[in-house]
Amino acid sequence: MLRLGRHAFGDDEALMMAIVNRTPDSFFDKGATWAEDAAFDRVAEVVAQGAEIVDIGGIKAAPGVEISAVEEKARVVDFVARVRATYPDLVISVDTWRAEVGAAVCAAGADVLNDAWGGADPELVDVAAEYDAAIICTHTGGVTPRTRPYRIEYDGPGGVVAAAIADTVAYAERALAAGVARESIVIDPAHDFGKNTFHSLEVTHRLGEMVATGWPVLVSLSNKDFVGETLGLDVGERLLGTLAATSVCALAGARIYRVHQVVETRQTVDMVWSIAGRRPPLRAIRGLQ
Amino acid sequence: MIALVPGVPALLPSYASLDDPVAELRAACLEVVAGLGPRVRVRASGPSAARVAAALVEAVGAAVVDDAGTGETGVLVVGNGSAKRTEKAPGHFDPRAEEFDAALRRTFAGIDADLAAELWADTGCLGGLPPLAEATVLYDDAPFGVQYWVALWA
Repeated sequence: MLRLGRHAFGDDEALMMAIVNRTPDSFFDKGATWAEDAAFDRVAEVVAQGAEIVDIGGIKAAPGVEISAVEEKARVVDFVARVRATYPDLVISVDTWRAEVGAAVCAAGADVLNDAWGGADPELVDVAAEYDAAIICTHTGGVTPRTRPYRIEYDGPGGVVAAAIADTVAYAERALAAGVARESIVIDPAHDFGKNTFHSLEVTHRLGEMVATGWPVLVSLSNKDFVGETLGLDVGERLLGTLAATSVCALAGARIYRVHQVVETRQTVDMVWSIAGRRPPLRAIRGLQ
Repeated sequence: MIALVPGVPALLPSYASLDDPVAELRAACLEVVAGLGPRVRVRASGPSAARVAAALVEAVGAAVVDDAGTGETGVLVVGNGSAKRTEKAPGHFDPRAEEFDAALRRTFAGIDADLAAELWADTGCLGGLPPLAEATVLYDDAPFGVQYWVALWA
């Protein structure tokens, strides 16, 4: 069982986590949902498309203007409350590394704290435990939040994958020790965070090793630079590459997919889930009449 | 008690879909097989037919007994009409298929085995059955261009 705050899911389910940015400058949508009503419309759209989870973020991942905790809260807390009130069955995740922000969004109804920066704020796990929220434990190679990877190497045995497993599992165990429920802890190799394109490709290829840890795995592949650099494509042209990477991760057994394009990703994951024998076909009769 | 069901592979658990394409057929089959009692002898000839029969018998909590066994409580016959009723039928459209099936609906006596083979009909075990007019018929349709009957003779 996987429990995300108020919501429980079976171990054979693959979940779509739709990205909802309350930012003026995120790389993919470039501020399209910066206005609160636009972000709310985005939530309605992804709910209609069948996303189980929304991941609300108030700060873009890339370097840029410093956003204080006060400003971050102003962007996300009331918005979380509004989404919670309108969509009681929706899992609400908030993309933040700050414990202060985490506490405020959990009080407003968030179910998941998606710590994209790998435990940079050590008190975030305590907040998750206090509010019985789920936590996403990512691997960043120890970089400071909102910095780009620069000449990072993983020279130890097992390379980047061994490092990602060691760090995310250690983070998961730290969350467990802090009192977060075991069924509410998820690990994420964090493609492109503290990783060059070769690292992200290797993590994709070897994702099964992360799944084999037994912790549920989230992947965040959507339109990222490792896809762009691999295929020589700009941000708006990376859907097919994203879906190819998604297929590989789905076959390995990733459970949660953090995405911009819900419909396309769902179709891809459903197809792979059926190939893997984890989901029956929707309706098969050809040759079986 | 004798029951007739078609040997439709989509009825097998290993070919289950999320959205059951044969839900009504399945319900009818389970109902008649449940009427056969705990020990069921199977007469099946077509491909998949014996597997389908075994799955249905198991699904109702009964057991298959072999021909030599005694104390059988019912007989499950597996078979169906032509598979060439429409353009999209497994065997494509054959203009003789509809009349062939209509004749079976009147009587299972005197089946033309050569024509049955041409029309992809599974009639090998139907020969000794009483007419459908004497049975409770729960299903009589050709939803995929294949003629199915589900019937129970008391």
